[in-house]
Amino acid sequence: MKKNKTMIIAFTAPAVLMFIIVFLYPICRTLAMSFFKIEGVTDDVSKWSFVGISNFIRLFQTKLFLTSMWNMFRIWLVGGILVMCLALLFAVIITSGIRFKSFFRAVIYMPNIVSAVALATMWLQYVYSPKFGLLKSVFATLHLDGLAKIQYLDTTNKFWALLFAYCFGMVGYHMLIFASGIERIGAEYYEAATLDGANKVRQFYYITLPLLKGVIKTNITMWSVSSVAFFVWSQLFSTVTADTATITPMVYMYLQIFGAGNSVTERNAGLGAAIGVLLSICVVIIFWVCNLALKDDDIEF
Amino acid sequence: MKKKLFCAALCASLVASMMTGCGQSSGTSSSSTEEQSQGDTQDGESAKDGGAANTTEEGKLVYWSMWEATEPQGQAISQAVEAFTADTGIEVDLQFKGRTGIREGLSPALEAGTAIDLFDEDIDRVNTTWSAYLMDLEELVKASDYESTASQGLIAACREVGGGTLKSIPYQPNVFAFFYNTEIFEAAGVTKAPATWAELLDACEKIKAAGYTPITCDDAYITSMFGFHMSRLVGEPAVEAIVKEGKWDDPAVKKTAEDYAELAAKGYFSETIEGNVWPAGQNSELALGTAAMYLNGSWLPNEVKDIATFKWGCFSYPALEGGVDGVDAANYGAQVFAINKDSKNADSAFQLIEYITKGEYDKVLSELSVGIPADTRNTQWPEMLESVKPVMESMKVRYPWAAGAEANADLTPIIKENFLKLCGGTMSAQEFVDAMASAGK
Repeated sequence: MKKNKTMIIAFTAPAVLMFIIVFLYPICRTLAMSFFKIEGVTDDVSKWSFVGISNFIRLFQTKLFLTSMWNMFRIWLVGGILVMCLALLFAVIITSGIRFKSFFRAVIYMPNIVSAVALATMWLQYVYSPKFGLLKSVFATLHLDGLAKIQYLDTTNKFWALLFAYCFGMVGYHMLIFASGIERIGAEYYEAATLDGANKVRQFYYITLPLLKGVIKTNITMWSVSSVAFFVWSQLFSTVTADTATITPMVYMYLQIFGAGNSVTERNAGLGAAIGVLLSICVVIIFWVCNLALKDDDIEF
Repeated sequence: MKKKLFCAALCASLVASMMTGCGQSSGTSSSSTEEQSQGDTQDGESAKDGGAANTTEEGKLVYWSMWEATEPQGQAISQAVEAFTADTGIEVDLQFKGRTGIREGLSPALEAGTAIDLFDEDIDRVNTTWSAYLMDLEELVKASDYESTASQGLIAACREVGGGTLKSIPYQPNVFAFFYNTEIFEAAGVTKAPATWAELLDACEKIKAAGYTPITCDDAYITSMFGFHMSRLVGEPAVEAIVKEGKWDDPAVKKTAEDYAELAAKGYFSETIEGNVWPAGQNSELALGTAAMYLNGSWLPNEVKDIATFKWGCFSYPALEGGVDGVDAANYGAQVFAINKDSKNADSAFQLIEYITKGEYDKVLSELSVGIPADTRNTQWPEMLESVKPVMESMKVRYPWAAGAEANADLTPIIKENFLKLCGGTMSAQEFVDAMASAGK
């Protein structure tokens, strides 16, 4: 047994060491940083000044940060419902034995392999453009002048324009995860249900959905993580300076750590760390609620 | 015992192989005049030094550039560096980091002891954010008589932001002003570039009557209009105070809002100004010739040179009646070079700076990037910037970016949102003031 222990220590030590260096240390350091005022993100500890929980208090008193949290929540909830419903619908259709399954699957997944920069440019400059955009042209052709005149990127509509463009790209990804989950369910269940007289809708509610619990949980967790880390699309929809309609906590964190836009503004990596801590708490809460709501299924199939 | 030794050896080899694996990624978009492998060795060496003072290898220069290798500035700098190495025999490890790369990476790299001799970025960021890493260049400048052929205004600006001493060398000068399409001005019968607000209103009226959009802008630059107008009224330091301390009851805010509400009400702005996400306004309105004016930096003609075919005009933001600042005040500045205070190659680094910012290569940079030359002996400005010359030369008071309007990061997006609404005509002047007052609380 003693020999075994040595072996265990010897072989786990590198992995444990790396885990401590790469994961544990940054987590602890970020947590510690959130209680200090730090100008540069890599400043020496001797330059940190302790401020207690005032970073957190300041965040909750800053209108812009609250706006960014509200935007993130809307992306998570509204975008989440939209993406999950569409992804599930497409997954069910794709796995239902339709023709050209691979073709449709590839088409729906395609936005995921195109760079976000290219996609955002397409939406901003070609789809939403008030001059020659797709939406404008289509509505103008249909003589729906009211709709053709809408400025999809003005301060009122920009958030929804961003959310729609983002969701468009995300459906395929979550559809694939759902589809793989559905394909794991044996065909005999559906055959038996069909013989018993259950229609497709009842089969979906009584067979597919319950057996997809685990996959739904995975999808929600992944959607939550990507919503909390929402950054690139927001940056692309508001170049140079941030925007109230598109700002998210990650963008706000960036402004605090590296300065805003082209001007030299006050920097505080401690405040950035505090945002990181708050976002981690959000993810943990979502994960915990998910685990409670969707208990691991004890059904074996 | 043997087994123990064997275990220890196995463990050591595992750790060693992991470390080698980590060590091999140097992670730079380097365009080195040397073999990449040498760069890697050096990274490894500096990593070994840990948090020690920055030590740079003697003889070889490491230059972190804010440009991308593919853009005109990057191409011109590559040419200059190549010629410099051929001429002097001094090797240069030129690494193009890009805007965000250098902004995010320089400080951590220097703190971690990475060998970097010189770097460049905007005048304010270098002298403010990175002030702790800068070498005093007064001696080097004096020894080489650098100043005699440099823009006095910019050198003075560098001294000012450097705390009274010269810690950076300006190049790629730029100025923020109204850029306009001279063909539209001619067609509308506007013979003189506006110097006062009344003249601007008059020009807008004529341009609108001629069937063009007088003024357009994009979301990225809209706060500059607010900042310039406010600064003309009360001076830039007062604008910063308003933005930072939330003094939104200042009469200048209301006056600015009213002036802009008037422009909006009279239809002088692009119909889509509220929804213009950069570069929609500059590309599809100004460059394509449907809009006449755009408040932007002197880099604008270069950015749209493939679209715009007209002759450019330029005028400083108009003076306002009873205002503190006149047309000789603007956000003007430059990109600057700075030398790491711990560099052991200060002399050759300065030599390289001279090589890029003087004579032939300053000219190449100016031509390729349609930029303003830094060397006063290069009197020939790119044709597109001819009209910028008198504006640049008339400057006396320097504003920071957006004339102070973006000094408070927590407020910039809120100013942007409300000012866009004001320009788009969906918000009145009073609503703007109220919105800012409630946001600034």
